[in-house]
Amino acid sequence: MRRTAYDLYRRSLSALIFAGCVGCAVLIVGVLGWVIGYLSSIGASSLSIGFFTELPSGDVANPGGMKHAILGTLALVAMAGVIGVPLGVATGIYLAEFKQDRYILAPVRFTADVLAGVPSIVIGILGYELVVVPMGSYNGWAGAFALAFIMVPIVARTSEEMLRLVPDSYRAASLALGATKAQTITRVVLPAATGSLITGIMLALARICGETAPLLFTALGSRLLTLDPNKPFPSLTVQIYTYATGPYPEQKRLAWAGILVLVALLLALNALIRYVASRSITRSIA
Amino acid sequence: MDDSSTSLSDDGSRRSRRRRLLTFADGALLWGARSSGVLVLLMLASLVVVLAAAAWPSFRAFGPGFLTSSEWRPNELERPMRNEAGQLVIEDGETVMEVVPPEFGALPVVYGTLVSSVLALVFAVPLSLGAAVFLVRVAPKWRIAGPLSFLVEFLAAIPSLAYGVWGLFVLAPLLQDRVEPLLRSVLGPVPGLGWLFRETVEVGGQVVTRDIPLTGRDMLCGSLILAIMIVPIITAISRDVLKAVPRVQIEGSIAMGATWWQSTWSMLRYSRSGLAGAIMLGLARAAGETMAVTMVIGNNNRISPSPFAPAQTMASLLANEFAEASSTLHRSALLQVALILLVMSLFINILARWLVGGSQAHAAAAH
Repeated sequence: MRRTAYDLYRRSLSALIFAGCVGCAVLIVGVLGWVIGYLSSIGASSLSIGFFTELPSGDVANPGGMKHAILGTLALVAMAGVIGVPLGVATGIYLAEFKQDRYILAPVRFTADVLAGVPSIVIGILGYELVVVPMGSYNGWAGAFALAFIMVPIVARTSEEMLRLVPDSYRAASLALGATKAQTITRVVLPAATGSLITGIMLALARICGETAPLLFTALGSRLLTLDPNKPFPSLTVQIYTYATGPYPEQKRLAWAGILVLVALLLALNALIRYVASRSITRSIA
Repeated sequence: MDDSSTSLSDDGSRRSRRRRLLTFADGALLWGARSSGVLVLLMLASLVVVLAAAAWPSFRAFGPGFLTSSEWRPNELERPMRNEAGQLVIEDGETVMEVVPPEFGALPVVYGTLVSSVLALVFAVPLSLGAAVFLVRVAPKWRIAGPLSFLVEFLAAIPSLAYGVWGLFVLAPLLQDRVEPLLRSVLGPVPGLGWLFRETVEVGGQVVTRDIPLTGRDMLCGSLILAIMIVPIITAISRDVLKAVPRVQIEGSIAMGATWWQSTWSMLRYSRSGLAGAIMLGLARAAGETMAVTMVIGNNNRISPSPFAPAQTMASLLANEFAEASSTLHRSALLQVALILLVMSLFINILARWLVGGSQAHAAAAH
């Protein structure tokens, strides 16, 4: 093939952009390495056993640990899960299994997608207006309400997708044996999808673990180890935010340690979920 | 089922009771599922209705001017009264003071949200598209597509608080000490670019022009953090969109003698609406992002054309002021800002989902 000037131009352009794409990937990995590396090195040097076992001391030079905040986050996520998971899964079942309602299904699916994109701080403000104002003070219920509100659309849409992966032949076989629709769903479809449903739920739980904005005006945060949901409720994320933006260096170190614990927890959870999911989906569907 | 093979006359009452139970279970499941589906609709409705109702006092006080006024002053202001000529009014040898009521206008925060999100897109989009092309067209050949995709999803799973803390303690000091002084010494003397580093402010009743104090916590830092946060999202969705391009599209162009870039370009053109949707979803995330931005953007309710000046977004204004808002009007004005943010994000999300379509938009929602 004869090399014209145009040919040379288009080949060199191609090589240039190819290099650019490689550069983009390298840059992203580099920034990731920078962020994670910094978090790990500073966080690890600030982390101690006391972080997990001590309560805040009130002394700015020796601020204690974050035991209250870790327990608070676990309690908040558990409360949100108790509200959000059944509602989300029920909506997922509705979207995947009740095709006779197709005129309602489309708007519900669309609304769930749109709700998943609503800024979480706006949901925190809704929690303030709907729960904090009537109850008269910041409290744990409001925080759980806001987190559940964030969970429902995510769990609903992932559950729907997971239920759709169950082949229709399962349903047809069950119905052909004389089972009712309710029996088919509870004894055939849900068991077949259990592994992947749990994956979706865990992903949603992991997501709300790291939420801060919806808790600022609902649970508010607390320095006490109270597990009474009628009072301001401690949480890891809000405590980190308070310490990080505050003036005391020792508290900032504690914030770094908190971030490291949070990120390590979420990454481990995500890796575990993806590993389990890749195994359970291939097993149950294949 | 166990009794379906027995004849109808056998043990009729037990069977009919069981049948009634099964029918009831069917109905209960249908209505249970249906009501939780309707609940999702009610959730969105309650968001809009509650915010609109709570924002009503502010809307009545400021009307549509709320969107165009750039004054955000939660407290009353006492200042010397001036007459039409701009001179101080003096009675009995003393300046007469006037009390100006609190005033709320959303223009600075709407501006801050739009500019920070768009700047973030300017940084993030080329990077994300490049990485997505790499993941689809280069990485499989080099056998690193799996680990790289994993990394991108890891990045997306890191909570925004972590990016905020990193931005506050690492990126902002870096910008303040190294990057911004360097930019000022290089770009500052260039004719026509002086506005980047100078601002006009009113100090003690006098209007002065001065150098912007470089703090590192400014619009630039906010946009950079936002860009770092939305890169994984745009990359992941673009990768899925590009993967969905039929093989014939690529093979056809290669068979016609296209270079690597020419065939890639045909892929990008083929999936342009999906890519636009991916960018819009990134924009939606950037516009609503709260914690990271609040920590690094400087939190100043003023409109400045320079990216080196502190700014404020709608979300960061809410995070900063909502808990401390004491007057009804202040709280109501903040709720109106929340309502504007909600409507804006609904609009961007709907547009994005319409562009991306179905399953990929959903994959983004899970991030």
